[in-house]
Amino acid sequence: MSDFFKQKKLLAVFATIALLATAFIWVVLSSGPLAKIKIVVTEVQERQLEPALFGIGTVEARHTYRIASNTLGRVVNLNVDVGARVDAGEILGMIDVVDLDEKINAQAALVESNKARLSEAQARLDYTGKQAARYRKLLPSRSVSEEIDAAKQHEWTLARNQARSANSELLRAQAELLALHALRNDSYLRAPVSGLIIARHIDPGATVLAGQTLFELIDPEQLWIDVRFDQAGSKHLAQQQPAQIILRSQELQPHTGHVARLEWLADAVTEERRAKVLFTQQPQPAPSIGELAEVTVQLPLLASTPVINNAAIMRQNSQLGVWLIDQQQPVFQPITLGRSDLKGNVQVLSGLSAGQQVVLYSSKALTANSRVQQVEQLVDTP
Amino acid sequence: MQAYGIKISGLSKSFGSGDTAVHALKQVNMQVAPGEVVGLIGPSGSGKSTLLKCLGAIIEPSAGQMYLGEQLIYDNAWKISDLRALRRDKIGFVFQAPYLIPFLTTLDNVALLPMLAGVSNKEARQRALELLTVLQVEHRAQALPSRLSGGEQQRIAIARGLINRPPVILADEPTAALDSVRALTVIRMLNEIARDYQTAVIVVTHDDKIIPTFRRLYHIRDGITYEEQGQARDIS
Amino acid sequence: MISLAGRDILHAWGKFVFTGIGLGLLIGVTLTMAGVYRGMVDDAQVLLDNSAADLWIVQKDTLGPYAEPSNLPDDTWRAVANMPGVANAANVTYLTMQVVHDGGDTRALVTGIANTGPGSAGWPLRLLAGRQVSKNHYEAVADIASGFKLGDRVHIRRNSYLIVGLTQRMVSSSGDPMIFIPLLDAQQAQFLKSNDALAQNRRRIQRNPVFNNPRNPEVLPAVLELQESNTQVNAVLVQLKAQAEPAQVAEDIRRWLRLQVYDREQMEGILVGKLIATSARQILMFLVILAVVSAAIVAFIIYTLTMGKIREIAVLKLIGTHNKTIVAMIIQQALALGVIGFIVGKIAATVWAPFFPKYVLLTTQDTISGLIAVLSMCVLASFVAIYAALRVNPADAVGG
Repeated sequence: MSDFFKQKKLLAVFATIALLATAFIWVVLSSGPLAKIKIVVTEVQERQLEPALFGIGTVEARHTYRIASNTLGRVVNLNVDVGARVDAGEILGMIDVVDLDEKINAQAALVESNKARLSEAQARLDYTGKQAARYRKLLPSRSVSEEIDAAKQHEWTLARNQARSANSELLRAQAELLALHALRNDSYLRAPVSGLIIARHIDPGATVLAGQTLFELIDPEQLWIDVRFDQAGSKHLAQQQPAQIILRSQELQPHTGHVARLEWLADAVTEERRAKVLFTQQPQPAPSIGELAEVTVQLPLLASTPVINNAAIMRQNSQLGVWLIDQQQPVFQPITLGRSDLKGNVQVLSGLSAGQQVVLYSSKALTANSRVQQVEQLVDTP
Repeated sequence: MQAYGIKISGLSKSFGSGDTAVHALKQVNMQVAPGEVVGLIGPSGSGKSTLLKCLGAIIEPSAGQMYLGEQLIYDNAWKISDLRALRRDKIGFVFQAPYLIPFLTTLDNVALLPMLAGVSNKEARQRALELLTVLQVEHRAQALPSRLSGGEQQRIAIARGLINRPPVILADEPTAALDSVRALTVIRMLNEIARDYQTAVIVVTHDDKIIPTFRRLYHIRDGITYEEQGQARDIS
Repeated sequence: MISLAGRDILHAWGKFVFTGIGLGLLIGVTLTMAGVYRGMVDDAQVLLDNSAADLWIVQKDTLGPYAEPSNLPDDTWRAVANMPGVANAANVTYLTMQVVHDGGDTRALVTGIANTGPGSAGWPLRLLAGRQVSKNHYEAVADIASGFKLGDRVHIRRNSYLIVGLTQRMVSSSGDPMIFIPLLDAQQAQFLKSNDALAQNRRRIQRNPVFNNPRNPEVLPAVLELQESNTQVNAVLVQLKAQAEPAQVAEDIRRWLRLQVYDREQMEGILVGKLIATSARQILMFLVILAVVSAAIVAFIIYTLTMGKIREIAVLKLIGTHNKTIVAMIIQQALALGVIGFIVGKIAATVWAPFFPKYVLLTTQDTISGLIAVLSMCVLASFVAIYAALRVNPADAVGG
């Protein structure tokens, strides 16, 4: 019986020791410096990248017409409000320049007085002309002196100039009268093009200054997107490149478009390049002006090169590179990178060739002496 | 041939000093021949325990002489240097309670002493097993003391006392916890051992069951020993 | 000679193991506490490691960007990049904020990274899954501690971001997970007020005739634009050329650009020495107390174990056992208890460490010093027990 107990006890002892030792070894191997670093490797692939450029923009009207007053005046009435569609030439409102009619009357009187002055000058011209001709005829007969003839000639010349001057005065007064009439005509604000009123800055009764904007008018059929692209990579941006547009209000419904214009002026502050992207077919309902849009421009296919995921890129001793796995041992391989696409793939210009195994993910920082263990994935990915 | 296994003469022991001194032993004389079993009896407080401790080299006497065989152990203030080795090699103890080491098997409890003296484990166990055979408890060699009966435990304790073949065995109330049959068995065993191994055995007791078995008895009263011839009833 | 300690342990195996496990759990708590402290310091250091920077340039006379707010114009990096010895310089912003996602929000350190590509300063060093940010807007790489998954959409201020990559151990000095988003978005997010605040601000400005002058209608939008845009960053991270001397470059920048520059050691000094100093010391103090308590309990356990055998020790002494045999027995038992306790403690600490909300770093060095401390504590504790054992009078065994 004692033997039995002894055996049972020894069994318990060994079981406990074995359990502790196993757990301890597991702990040491799984957590300490002896633990293997779990890595996920991937193969370098040879393929053509489809690079794209991603930018953020706002919806803008291609043309915005600001309708302003030419004179200081009071707004008498405004016929339209924001949201109204107007045709070209339609009267939008009227500005009353307070003393315009009186000015016109005064000007008309001035014209009349100038007319009278002109006929008076004309009469004097006739008379002095006739006098001058008569004295010139009498001169060969020596019945008048040369001096008198010269005086008559001079009077005639003066009368001629006076008549010309009176004529000019009349023309000026008439022109000013026309100008005042034109001004009166212009107190009607007219739509320059057919379009949509998007802003009205003033209400009837208010006084406006010359040059002050009253209405903003756009053509709602002519919307485009003012996009800002990162300067890096924008070299390959060109007109007519296809683009995908996602409006913030219609996130699930991408629209197509193309690059309509590349701006010469870049944004030096945000270090971005600007471009205008037009819809192929304008979305209905039309997006609001100023709405945020994400634009992805497809750039031309690149030549086939080795390609890696950008997660594999590491920096060691101020060099970019990747960790290769050589006989279960990590080796750092410096590389030079080319362009990348939006899915995180990067061209490798030198340092790698297709088919090589590179470390994509690692659970800890790798060194050349790390012990590694390959796994399928480090975290559950959906 | 030794003249005696143990001999003490003029032994005294005082605790404390001056007026408060307690004279536990005043005048003790005793000699036990090899092969002889003597009883030491006395009432409580008579100095019995103190004498036993002096005999066992656990405490030192204040004065007097003690010989173990030819070896002088105490001579008044002088004593030999290694009392611990002396205890281990020359004196076997058998206690009222067996005081076995609970975490050692019966065999190892017995074999521990030769092991402590530097004997190899194998030889020590061999010797212990022989002794257990002699004492008829070899079948419990691998058992732990807690699984033994009182009598078996006492026999193991005796075996432990004997294992180093000491010239002297001191037994302190070895039968106190035993019934009379077992008590007599123990005494018989001690007698056999004394005879077979030429050991001087001193049994401290006040057990009436066994007092009649001694040929010679020492009474101790107030720290003074008196020798007495026993009835020496044959118990074999 | 048989091993008395071993026999005693075997004899009372269950009791011994359970004592060891109890002791082990206590040691485990102590090791964990050390791990909490280390983790705290490591959180600060990992933030610096993750920046992959050699120098940090911040607003003059600030301890930024982690310990104190710092603002720099976002074109500072150009001047810095021209300094001799600088390989590259990148803007970075840090903002601790609530990141909203389906069903809740998470406190995170939103980091704006310049569009300089993987491997540059400020970018996540390595990923667990997914990829690095490749668009310059609305993509994010999040630390796994944030609980986000690949493909999740999270909202930072007004915009939603697609989680494209996951990192590990990318945390702020207070342990908040980091979320990396493109710099332009981050700048906007940092400065963007709520829409209400914007509208009210606009109304205020519109009422001001200086800004809203009918003769000059262009002024108002320009002022508003200025009010609502952000051209500030929190720091410029600098990577040096291989042969450049950090102190020299830092001195040049300090002198000619009049900016505050910190190198790695100074940054560590700020983070560890200033930012987390109090809480770290708090933990350290607790660790010290825990260690003392553990030591006292170890001593008590060993003393009790020895005292439980005092009679046997007396018998052993009586039958002539050497003191050194008894001492060896006690010390061996104490050490065995220490070893079991340590192993259990180490296992326990390792097992429960990942469940802590903040990082618990169990270093090998701490483990080894823990082992040494436990064993020396056991030896020290057994001295008390040994003293008691050696004082046992063999005569006690005889009794009476």
